Amino acid sequence: MLLTAAGIEKRYGGVRALKHVSFDLQPGEVHALIGENGAGKSTLIKVLTGAVQPDAGTVELEGHAVLNNSPSVSRALGIAAIYQQPQTFPDLSVAENIALVNEPGGLTRKVDWKARREQAKKLLAEIGSDIDPDREAGTLSMPEQQIVEIAKALGSNLKVLILDEPTASLTDRETDQLFRVIRQLRERGTGLIYISHRLEELGQIADRVTVLRDGETIETRPAAGTDSRTLIRLMAGRDLSAVFPKRVVPIGAPVLEVRGLCCEEAGITEISFDVRAGEIFGIAGLVGAGRTQLAETLFGLTPADGGTVRVAGTEVHTKNPREAIAAGIAYVPEDRRSNGVVGELPVRANTTMAVLDRISSMGMLDYGAERELADKWVQALSVKTDGIDAPVGSLSGGNQQKVSIARWIATEPKVLILDEPTQGIDVGAKSECHKIMCDLAEKGLAIVMISSELPEILGMSDRIAVMSKGRMHGILDRADATSEIILEMALGAKA
Amino acid sequence: MKQRAIAIGIFWVILLTVLTLRAPGFFAGGNLRDMALSNAPALLVAVGMTLVILMGEIDVSVGSQFAVATVVAGLAAKSGLPLGLTVLVTAIAGALLGSLNGALIIGLRVPSIVATLAAMAFWRELLRWTTGGAWIQGLPASFQWMGLSQAGGEIVIFAATALIFGFFAWAMRNLRAGRGIYAIGSASEAARLAGIPVAGLSFSVFALLGALTGLAAALNAMRFSEVQPNAGAGLELKAISAVVIGGASISGGRGNLWGTLLGAAVLAVIAPSLTFLGINAFWEKAIQGGIILGAIVLERAAAGKRSARAH
Amino acid sequence: MRIENRAGSERALVGLILLEILIFAIFGPNFFTTGNAFEIVRLGVELGLLALALTPVIVSGGIDLSVGSMMGLCAVAFGYLWRDAHLPVWAAGSCTLAIGLAGGALNAILISRFKAAPLIVTLGTYSLFRGIAEGLTRGVDNFSQFPPSFLALGQGYIGGIVPAQMPVFVLFTAGFYLLLHRSIYGRAMRAVGFSPSGARWAGIPVENRLVLAYTLSGFTAAVASLIYVAHLGQAKSDAGTGYELLAITAVVLGGTAITGGKGSIFGTLLGLCAIVILQNGLRLAALPAELSGILTSAILVGTIAIGRLKSAPPKPEIDQAEDEVKNSQVAVLSAVILAGALIVAGTNVWLVRSLKGPETKAASGNKVVVGMLPKAKGDPYFVSCKRGAEASAAENGVELIWDGPTDVDPAKQNEIVEAWITRGVSTVAVSVVNAPGISTVLRKAREKGIKVLTWDADAEPNARDFFINQATPQGIGSTLADEAAAILGNKGDFAIVTGALSAANQNEWIKYIKQTVAEKYPGMNLVAIRPSDDDRDRAFAETQTLLKVYPNMKAVIVISAPAVPGAGEAVKQSGRKDVKVTGLSLPNLCKPYVHAGVVQSVVLWDTQNLGYLTVLASKLAAEGTLHAGVTSIDAGKLGKLEVKGDNVLLGKPMVFNKANIDKFDF
Repeated sequence: MLLTAAGIEKRYGGVRALKHVSFDLQPGEVHALIGENGAGKSTLIKVLTGAVQPDAGTVELEGHAVLNNSPSVSRALGIAAIYQQPQTFPDLSVAENIALVNEPGGLTRKVDWKARREQAKKLLAEIGSDIDPDREAGTLSMPEQQIVEIAKALGSNLKVLILDEPTASLTDRETDQLFRVIRQLRERGTGLIYISHRLEELGQIADRVTVLRDGETIETRPAAGTDSRTLIRLMAGRDLSAVFPKRVVPIGAPVLEVRGLCCEEAGITEISFDVRAGEIFGIAGLVGAGRTQLAETLFGLTPADGGTVRVAGTEVHTKNPREAIAAGIAYVPEDRRSNGVVGELPVRANTTMAVLDRISSMGMLDYGAERELADKWVQALSVKTDGIDAPVGSLSGGNQQKVSIARWIATEPKVLILDEPTQGIDVGAKSECHKIMCDLAEKGLAIVMISSELPEILGMSDRIAVMSKGRMHGILDRADATSEIILEMALGAKA
Repeated sequence: MKQRAIAIGIFWVILLTVLTLRAPGFFAGGNLRDMALSNAPALLVAVGMTLVILMGEIDVSVGSQFAVATVVAGLAAKSGLPLGLTVLVTAIAGALLGSLNGALIIGLRVPSIVATLAAMAFWRELLRWTTGGAWIQGLPASFQWMGLSQAGGEIVIFAATALIFGFFAWAMRNLRAGRGIYAIGSASEAARLAGIPVAGLSFSVFALLGALTGLAAALNAMRFSEVQPNAGAGLELKAISAVVIGGASISGGRGNLWGTLLGAAVLAVIAPSLTFLGINAFWEKAIQGGIILGAIVLERAAAGKRSARAH
Repeated sequence: MRIENRAGSERALVGLILLEILIFAIFGPNFFTTGNAFEIVRLGVELGLLALALTPVIVSGGIDLSVGSMMGLCAVAFGYLWRDAHLPVWAAGSCTLAIGLAGGALNAILISRFKAAPLIVTLGTYSLFRGIAEGLTRGVDNFSQFPPSFLALGQGYIGGIVPAQMPVFVLFTAGFYLLLHRSIYGRAMRAVGFSPSGARWAGIPVENRLVLAYTLSGFTAAVASLIYVAHLGQAKSDAGTGYELLAITAVVLGGTAITGGKGSIFGTLLGLCAIVILQNGLRLAALPAELSGILTSAILVGTIAIGRLKSAPPKPEIDQAEDEVKNSQVAVLSAVILAGALIVAGTNVWLVRSLKGPETKAASGNKVVVGMLPKAKGDPYFVSCKRGAEASAAENGVELIWDGPTDVDPAKQNEIVEAWITRGVSTVAVSVVNAPGISTVLRKAREKGIKVLTWDADAEPNARDFFINQATPQGIGSTLADEAAAILGNKGDFAIVTGALSAANQNEWIKYIKQTVAEKYPGMNLVAIRPSDDDRDRAFAETQTLLKVYPNMKAVIVISAPAVPGAGEAVKQSGRKDVKVTGLSLPNLCKPYVHAGVVQSVVLWDTQNLGYLTVLASKLAAEGTLHAGVTSIDAGKLGKLEVKGDNVLLGKPMVFNKANIDKFDF
């Protein structure tokens, strides 16, 4: 056995985050760890990497107990982790990012820049990447950062690699590349712990699956022959009727009409499409294809330099989010933590942040109106919270996302743009979000949904546009779309 | 941020050109030596300040630390301690003051600007209270210039400053500890996860700034035969300005000691060049402020339409 | 939880304020009176306005270091507009407010449009604003004689008891409360402080909100400046020096997070109260003013640290490695505190010495209580005066309260006299920094039956009973010019190194030096005036430069006590035997340089005798022996001294040189 964790207990204040959890990993195995948010996956990972100390229980690596665990100790022993948020140093070069975590020796050791660069080049080549080691990490895209993270992990005398939702921000192509690297590592005898919310991936990559629920190990079983539905049942402790509760609603007149939209700063060219009332318009594509940039242009974050946008027949030129909101466009951004909600502010302030004008007169807040409005949307979206005065940061990821959506529905928009609406939230919350989308479409909203999850795109959209390199490469009807066609369009255009 | 250093460099070149044309005496060896000597202590402090700012922190208490260390140097010398030990004791006293800041900031997680703002008032007022402003006089004759000739003493000050600057300029680029400081300033949580001893290193940097300030105070005091207890007033602004003018990002992770050297050089020549050019002293502060603001504007202009990296 | 924490820290602050009040009510005579309560308000208004304005700035995640300098700029601008541009007061005031707005807008634009860090931008404008103020006035100009209707804003009382500036402060408090807590702008600033991108994505016009915060900050600083000018009756470029740090301290003490987002106007008011009550109470209890800085900073760090310790997540069992780190940190912390204590103990040689005087004072009883106010406590000149004063107090059975600003600061002088009036003393003896500024409060003291003397530097004649005249500015100026002439042989170049450019008495001396030179020594030529900031090291560097720029300059007149040895050292190190220094300083500081021959002479009166005489005359005045019409007094060890009109004459300034300097020890 490569790694064994036995009887792990962890308390945070009064909450038992881990209840006597046991877990093991064999050399050359990919062991998937799944569970809803708050099930204890992150805590278990933190215990293994020494970022937190367990209250009880033991961790053994190759039969030797790991004592005095800390990030530096575990790394020296050969346990590395790649987190959902890449832990890069934006001001430092790629080579240095890789070297800082791998170089042996203490703080008084001299840096060998040449060796650093060569080592970085070698590691990057190993995963088939040609990123320049001298580039500043701050200029890397999200997937490029993930690749650097993997190169970092490869550099150490790696025995155990922990991947925490590595594919959350990757497109299918990049995911494939990642899987290739994972298989290489497996062949070398490295043990991998793989955490993901994308259950359909597990069959491709995992050998065994362990399901955690409420801080307890529910079951460990071979991945082969286990379907998503079973896993969902184990995770949730109940059957979820449908993953994608798509309802067919009457489609109305065009609400959003985009013609020849260009924006040099955002890198998008000649985009044209319509979205009609009641329609969910999916936008697929690889990361970096310009989908988020298109949304940000429509929302006025990067004003367009060409083309026209009409909302409900009126031409609009949005130069900032304020004007976009006034025109009836709402945008639920991708990066929830930094852009979607303000964690320190209470639920009510977050819900009303985009409609401050509506809960005030002559610039003065009307607290009664604010509470009323916040209550209404918190109930409508069934946000689970200790009340509207609780800070949003204390809510689970899924409920934070609901608050983020509530904020935008409160603006009573005509067009709602959702960017990766279910990224990084658990299965239960995911399907609730999908249900909310259907409800909104039913009320006649035009919905634009950007997603990197093909099943979500296929399951929820009425029509699907595929983007690459800042251009739109065709729009498919729901009936015609398959994952193969979409992938082909996204990739074909790229070649 | 590089643009800022370039903008300042351009300003500096223009100023030096004007001086060459209007007051060539400015470049006489004697004048350059005197300016360098007067500013060597401030440069030492600015070196430590650069490390602190690169780490994304700040220390506004160095002026008060400098004053306390100066008095410690005077007391040590007066008590008959050998000069080498006096310097050592002063540097240690500085390191202790720096460590106290470090303990508050890292141990108790008090934001550095708040902790050092408090330390600044605390030490300065405590010193005023206890010394009542009295100078330390009647020091051993060997106190001035460390018992060497004036030229010898000057060489020691130059050599010490150059060595220390050179070492840190090299170390920040080539030692793991130096790169660790950049890493902390760039992303401190990532640095922790990467196994860099963030708390220990941060604490050491504050202690180091204290030690450098103490050393600077000792070297400065030894240019004179008496010790004044109100030394170092405004030193914190001078050191921070030098670092900022030199192009370092106040949020950490970017900048280097060569920029700080440039910044310190620019600040050092302003006052003397006004005298050389016969410009009234009253405009000195306005010019200093103008340079900082000018650098900001030029930096943006140079960066053009490229969007700024969010802090 | 966050909200609870805030309430908790506010409760702690209220407790602290109550504790301060309790302590000072016991130890500070007349502290616990309505009159003093309003006095505290008056003293706190300028600082309070800045603290109010800084709260939204800090809540939005920024900082504004330029507010104190902005006060200086606005004061000067107001003076110019009124006196030189002959605008009516209301118009000058409005223009000044516009300048405040413009200065704030400059910060705002650089921060919001140029995306520069607030700390850097306002560090730049901190220098720029003060620099413009100094440049415009050449440091010298001091605007005064404002119309009484304007001065009432800072000095008057509404209904005889409420200070006139109080309604302004109440108005601004209400305004900032509404802004930060009740308006959508405050909500937006809070969101920006917590998460700038989160606010931007929510459609909040982040730039506009920042512009609002910084512009308001500039505007409020302008209002504070007008009140400051009205309060002191003078407008000078050094108005508001150091206020920015005190205001930031008040805001942070009040629980506002320096990192942004969290904070309240109520908290800021509490923080302000804690600081101002402490300052006032210490003065009334005749405790050293330095304690206020020491205690304030200890409280600031203490409250935050305790908050951190309490809110730290409970860690049931820390593993060994972590534990070791913690232990070592604790060990270092203890070592550092211990070492800090040792340093303090080491420097306590002086503490004991400086406390001996005040400690020997027994319970006052019917003793004459003299409040003696120097320009600045730390200046060696005044330290020397203090020694004479203490000796005199012991000899004559007087209770001496010696207190003054730690740096030369006219506003602080007023505050101290106000505190002494409230406390009740027999005589106030002031070395005046700024005559028009302090005269109002001195007149008030006389109305309350307190004898008022001036020493070292005079106030307006009708504001005091007697002036202890050690030497007139004219006498000093001409003596210094004579000394320089002696060095130069009546012709050639000389330079002046002064203290601070805006120091009024030094500018006065310079005036008479120039006048004497013009009348008596037409062959002499003044080449430059350079500031030393009363810092020996700066005086050294400035003199070095002067020596090189003006090779024909053979004499330097230095008119700041700590600067003379600095200039002497510079001449000594240059090896120039043909250049000599003369100046105004203490014999003890200059002895080595006088013997080395680089300092030709030092001009001064006997400072200890000045302190001695001041305390004695204060006693005689309080007892009625010294009254109008007296022509001489018996001055103890000084013998019989002449009283000429309302001037008690100490004698002429002395010239110390190689021949006589060793006979003096001060």
